[in-house]
Amino acid sequence: MGLTPLRDLLAVAANEFRQFRRSRTAMLISLVILPLFFASSLGGASGSATSRFSPTAKVAIAFVDEDMTWTSTLLREVLARSGDFDNLVDGLMVDSAVSSLGTGRIYAAIVVPKGFQDNLLRNQTGRLIVYMDDSEPFISQRLTSALTNTLTNLRTYSGTQQTQNMQSGQIQIIRRGAVFGGFSIGLTIILSLVVVFATFYEVAGGMSREHEEGTYARLSVTPLSLGALMLGKTLHILILNVIRTFTVLGLAIYVYGAQPRAEIATLLTISLLISLLTIGFGFIVSSFGLTVRAVIIIEFFLILFLFAFSGFIIDKEMLQGISRIISFLLPWAYGIEMFKRTILAGQPLLSMPIPLSIIAFSTILFYMISYFLLKVSRERLVT
Amino acid sequence: MSELDIVTRGLTKVFGHFTAVDNLNLEVEAGELFGLLGPNGAGKTTTVRMLCTLIEPTRGQAKVAGYDVATEPAKVRRNIGVVSDGVLLYKDLTVEENLRLLAKLYGLPKVKAEDRIRELFELFKFNDKATRQVKGLSSGWFKKSMIVAALIHNPKVLFLDEVTSGLDPQTAIALREFTRKLCDQGVTVVWTTHIMEEPEKICDRVGIIYEGRLIQIGRPSDLTRSISELSVIEVETPNLQSGLIDKIKAYDDVSKVTYEDPILRVSCMRGGDISEEIVKLLINSGARVRSVRPVEPTLEEAFVSLTGGEEEIDRFLEMSAKG
Repeated sequence: MGLTPLRDLLAVAANEFRQFRRSRTAMLISLVILPLFFASSLGGASGSATSRFSPTAKVAIAFVDEDMTWTSTLLREVLARSGDFDNLVDGLMVDSAVSSLGTGRIYAAIVVPKGFQDNLLRNQTGRLIVYMDDSEPFISQRLTSALTNTLTNLRTYSGTQQTQNMQSGQIQIIRRGAVFGGFSIGLTIILSLVVVFATFYEVAGGMSREHEEGTYARLSVTPLSLGALMLGKTLHILILNVIRTFTVLGLAIYVYGAQPRAEIATLLTISLLISLLTIGFGFIVSSFGLTVRAVIIIEFFLILFLFAFSGFIIDKEMLQGISRIISFLLPWAYGIEMFKRTILAGQPLLSMPIPLSIIAFSTILFYMISYFLLKVSRERLVT
Repeated sequence: MSELDIVTRGLTKVFGHFTAVDNLNLEVEAGELFGLLGPNGAGKTTTVRMLCTLIEPTRGQAKVAGYDVATEPAKVRRNIGVVSDGVLLYKDLTVEENLRLLAKLYGLPKVKAEDRIRELFELFKFNDKATRQVKGLSSGWFKKSMIVAALIHNPKVLFLDEVTSGLDPQTAIALREFTRKLCDQGVTVVWTTHIMEEPEKICDRVGIIYEGRLIQIGRPSDLTRSISELSVIEVETPNLQSGLIDKIKAYDDVSKVTYEDPILRVSCMRGGDISEEIVKLLINSGARVRSVRPVEPTLEEAFVSLTGGEEEIDRFLEMSAKG
């Protein structure tokens, strides 16, 4: 008698697999095409795991050399080689460079004024002027940061009104902080996306199909408990997500040469935590008795939210106002943060108690809410 | 008196402002084949869904197989089988796979489950159909699959909701015979239908449900006798005055009158005599009568006639409430 719920949940999980196996197209899309598509798109966009990622690298920036000395030429070379300024635009005068700002042709202009080398040789402050497009605060901030890193040993005075004394004429570029491959950064979001995208559809879409096709009513006239039904579906999806996670990681490591600093078990655990969170949310959505089409629309919103508010496009710290609040409240963002901290910095899972607790708490909360909602909306789901 | 497998007391279901089932009092004995007859939307399926624990009653009580549907739903579910349009099988799975899943959920041991599956397939002559996906079956075989699914755990009470709709006549006959045999073996069956002839052929007793209310219970032979006396005429008469319609309604044997210009539709229990009287009344009152023709009664007309109209329904409900 005590084993009945376990027997029931295993029966539900086995049934889910049996149905999954029946639809070869769904199997192919869910387990192969989806993970491969996302991981390959990332690989294609980033080149390879070893190529360095810089948000300012592809941005057009004017380099205006009014000094025309060996030092200013060297400075240009150093900037071009730094990996942060691959798209330097030469040959512009200061006036035309400044007037081009805000047109989208260039986003910044670095000006080396006359007397730059002389000042350095006389052991005085060298001065660089940087004009930036104020409509693009994100690029301005990144550019300032990249320029500061590049010019550390020039110890110059830049347009940001920062003054330091010149110690010598030696020019050397020192990169500060961790430097991540673009692929590794992308891998964090790709893993989350693949898991969330597939999981949400499998739960909410699956439940909607059961509702539409009358099989939920069939299960509801058997002694199967709601808890066993939910756990059976959970078990099925967790197993599929293990396969998906291995597919994405396998492709990332063996094809694109990514070197995540975390152990595979850690990444798998985070992946499954995000899965559980999404399954709980999927059950909540399924309690509204929506059609499969409506579920797909909600799924797109969820993915959009993940892109916009989880730090993938814009750093969470740079979000303002309501966006910042959404980012703070979005539990998936903490999962992506955990992926970043493990894949990029190699932090152990237990050293991140806050995101871990938020995900665990949110998952339990989602499951409790969904259990309650599925109970009270039973009539709607079986008719 | 033998054991009662279904008992309802004041069973009511309200959806918003709509009362789908109103104060239903019903008793069905073990092994009885009880027909629940009514037009579409009368409340048959809602009644079955409450008894199957799919939906909760708004008011009242119901016991199925000795268990309360509201407080002991799991025990009710162990003892019932349901065949209904909204309670379906996994269409991507084969019939056999569906049955195995259900056998597991009902807690049947593996060997027993396999024996039962084989027994049901032989009984319904499934042969190769057993290993076909449900979505590939014809409507007849689909219905049979639903029936074997409902029978997998040897239920004590079986609900067959509009089970013959969409079936060819031979399959419908075979199904009726099979159901009769089940009842002879002690299974209680509730057979809901909107086809008036069906209960007459197999049911021990029939309850007529109309606008959510159980308006008559009796033997099928009583029902048949009443129906045979019912006739309906359609008179084409434009611009009929409402005073004339009231006069027609006042006839003793007229149970229902509707008028949608120019068609006057009258249902009555005395056949030809009353038709002649009505036509005479219309002509003498100056109404233009273009044509008169007898038509088949609708279910609703039959039900209203059977129960003697709204006043009789109210009287019946008052009496049943008293005891």
